[in-house]
Amino acid sequence: MGRLILRRLLATVPVLLLVTAGVFALIHLTPGDPVDAMMAESQDAAARESLRRELGLDRPLYAQYAAWMGRLLRGDLGRSIRNQEPVVENVGRRIRPSLELAALAMAISIAVALPIGLITAARRNTSIDRLGTLFTVVGICMPNFLIALLLIFLFGVTLRWLPISGYTDPLEEPLAGLRSLLLPAVTLGLALAAVVARTLRSSMLEALAEDYVRTARAKGLSEGAIIRGHVLRNALIPVVTVVGLQLGTLIGGAVITEYVFALPGVGRLVVDAVFARDYPLVQGVVLLIALGYILSNLAVDLLYGWIDPRIRYR
Amino acid sequence: MASTARGDVRARAVSRRCFMRAWAGLAPLMAWGPSGVARALAQPAPAAVKRGGTIRVGFYIEAATMDPHLSGSKIDRQVYHNIYEPLVTLDDKLGIKPGLAESWRQPDPRTLVLKLRSGVKFHDGTDFDADACRFNFNRMRSEPKSVRKGEVASIESVEVVDAYTVRLGLKRPDAALLATLTDRAGMMVSPKVVQERGGELERNARGAGTGPFQFVEWVKDDHILLRRNDAYWNKQGGPYLDQIRYRPIPDDTVKLQSLQSGEIDVMDYVQPRDVAAVKADRNLVAVDVPSLADFAYQLNHTRPPFNAKPLRQAVAYALDLDRIVKGVWLNVGVPANGPIPPTSWAYDAATPPIKRDLTRARARLAEGGKPDGFSFTMTTNNIPINVQEAEVMQAQLAEVGIGMKIRLVDAATLISDGNAKNFEMISFQWSGRPDPDGNTYQFFHTTPGTSLNWSGISNPQIDALLDRTREVSSQGERKKLFGELTRILQDELPMVFIIHPVEPKAFSPRVQGYDPVPDGMMRFKDVWLK
Repeated sequence: MGRLILRRLLATVPVLLLVTAGVFALIHLTPGDPVDAMMAESQDAAARESLRRELGLDRPLYAQYAAWMGRLLRGDLGRSIRNQEPVVENVGRRIRPSLELAALAMAISIAVALPIGLITAARRNTSIDRLGTLFTVVGICMPNFLIALLLIFLFGVTLRWLPISGYTDPLEEPLAGLRSLLLPAVTLGLALAAVVARTLRSSMLEALAEDYVRTARAKGLSEGAIIRGHVLRNALIPVVTVVGLQLGTLIGGAVITEYVFALPGVGRLVVDAVFARDYPLVQGVVLLIALGYILSNLAVDLLYGWIDPRIRYR
Repeated sequence: MASTARGDVRARAVSRRCFMRAWAGLAPLMAWGPSGVARALAQPAPAAVKRGGTIRVGFYIEAATMDPHLSGSKIDRQVYHNIYEPLVTLDDKLGIKPGLAESWRQPDPRTLVLKLRSGVKFHDGTDFDADACRFNFNRMRSEPKSVRKGEVASIESVEVVDAYTVRLGLKRPDAALLATLTDRAGMMVSPKVVQERGGELERNARGAGTGPFQFVEWVKDDHILLRRNDAYWNKQGGPYLDQIRYRPIPDDTVKLQSLQSGEIDVMDYVQPRDVAAVKADRNLVAVDVPSLADFAYQLNHTRPPFNAKPLRQAVAYALDLDRIVKGVWLNVGVPANGPIPPTSWAYDAATPPIKRDLTRARARLAEGGKPDGFSFTMTTNNIPINVQEAEVMQAQLAEVGIGMKIRLVDAATLISDGNAKNFEMISFQWSGRPDPDGNTYQFFHTTPGTSLNWSGISNPQIDALLDRTREVSSQGERKKLFGELTRILQDELPMVFIIHPVEPKAFSPRVQGYDPVPDGMMRFKDVWLK
């Protein structure tokens, strides 16, 4: 197990190199640079040029990349061009809302998806199944922002039960924080739940068709006992895969949800940074997101081994 | 020292100081004139005003910096006008009123002498005086990251005459300088804060201003908090509010819903599509603020097709400004006849906006050698209203055979392409400046190299006119010059002007005492909550 983890971590290095090189090239080759964005209303060409020199933007691309990699290897992700604060501090401030939102959304999605997936699989082709399918189809097809605006309109404007936008940290003020995150988490969670429920349903149906299930039924076990004891664990592998992938994207920041609900998360941070061509911030954030994604995938792979003893890596 | 000229006498005895302060208090009334005084006296008696409360303001993006000398963003200015004060301020007719400078005079066209208000303290307790004033000007001119350099470029020297008098020596006559000093270029920051805090001033402006409110904290992407300055020098009127809380809410619909549900009290800008709904809502108050802005499209004079004047005019005649303003902007604004908005004293009401005339358009096409039309690419910002406007223009131009391809880009790319003259026609939305010079000179004067003159126009007649508007100080004469400029611009067409937008703001009915100024800045000094 230890060797597996080590091997996987070593394998992340070339992946991260590719990611950083790719992002670096993309953001630097896009027209416009941070000086243009910051000094848009200034006609002072000399001031712009001197700022460019100060930021090292007048050097050739490979030199800039080498300089950035050099700093990176020393553990320095650089400073945001716009606010001069270290990238790590910028991200650190914004990662908490994103992680909290991701965790809450994931919890809601699993809490909603598991029962729906189970019931629709157990009661296949009945009206309950059709209702569940309707829910999943709507959840997958409805755009994120539409769900968000409908929820805001219902719970924020009409019923006034929940705040419309803004963020309070649940770790500091549990009740207020939870209220501020509830609508965005439900928005994200419903969309994810739809996918998870679908996946669970189909993998459950597959597992229920296996021979050992027929044997168990013949032995006299109740349907519930069969599902709990035998089928569920086998059906979970595809579900864990899907959940793992979703977690990766959630960590990256649910940009649209963050915009609509004015949450100060990582998604908004990186999009605003791209618009402002804040190179160090974009590169740093993408690197960290890629790292997060890889680590969550690693965790998912390890989880496979726990769920299904047949899957053990050598 | 014994001079009797108002504002030149230095107060000594306490009683004389009070007398002088009373004069200073009346000076704004004198600037307004008799009708202004009548209007001021007609205001509701202060007894109805209630002190206290926190007003919550929603903005569309987060502020960028709290340092007015380094700021390039419009949102920053909204906060600045409550914590910092400029040397001179604007009234609602765009006239210049005393601010931290209680009076000024120009002994000759290249000198400006400012008499500063005494008894004003920065929020950190230090005095505002001529030394502080000089410190600020020098910082604007020499600080490497200063964005104000271009605005104070005409200032050659700053001299302290006495504790409350500053003499600015100008490189050339600059009739627009005073208007520039009504905004960031005239805002005074505490030298002590700058020296002690340096770069941290961008995030933390505690103690730095002289305004009716002072900076408390800025939690990035969450809120900016200001609180009342109880030691504010101006004892007339407010400030009444305890606190002001600014929140960035990027989504327009959510911002409006926040206002409707009572989570915020003020919205800085209502989208044209929401204006009708806001006006119909009895729980909201909508205020139309005609702005200083002009929205236009720059045409590249340095390469085909728009290096040919007839083709530029063909485009101008083929567009239907009335339809665009009505259909896209829902009449939240007026068609533009040029760069100067109707809110400005320099607006030329005698020159109407270019009216659609397909016959003339076709004639110009023929004159330009393209009787069957031609095609070009238009670059614009990828926001919904710009896209709608582009599509309408595309349809209008197609009627005379001009094919317009639409290229959607983000803001940074737009700026970069404009600066590099990498476009044929490009969207240009200028938020506007109080003096007409700010809407004209840098765009139409011949300027080699990278500049805001994206079109590349170089016309000696226009250059001469623009230079003259800076030299002449009489408003009447400048107005005539700007009128002539407007006419020439409609012929030469460095830009096709579309609209002078109105900036509607929306308030909760609890908000009282708001006085809209066309620069769109929300000053909360005399605002109170019911």
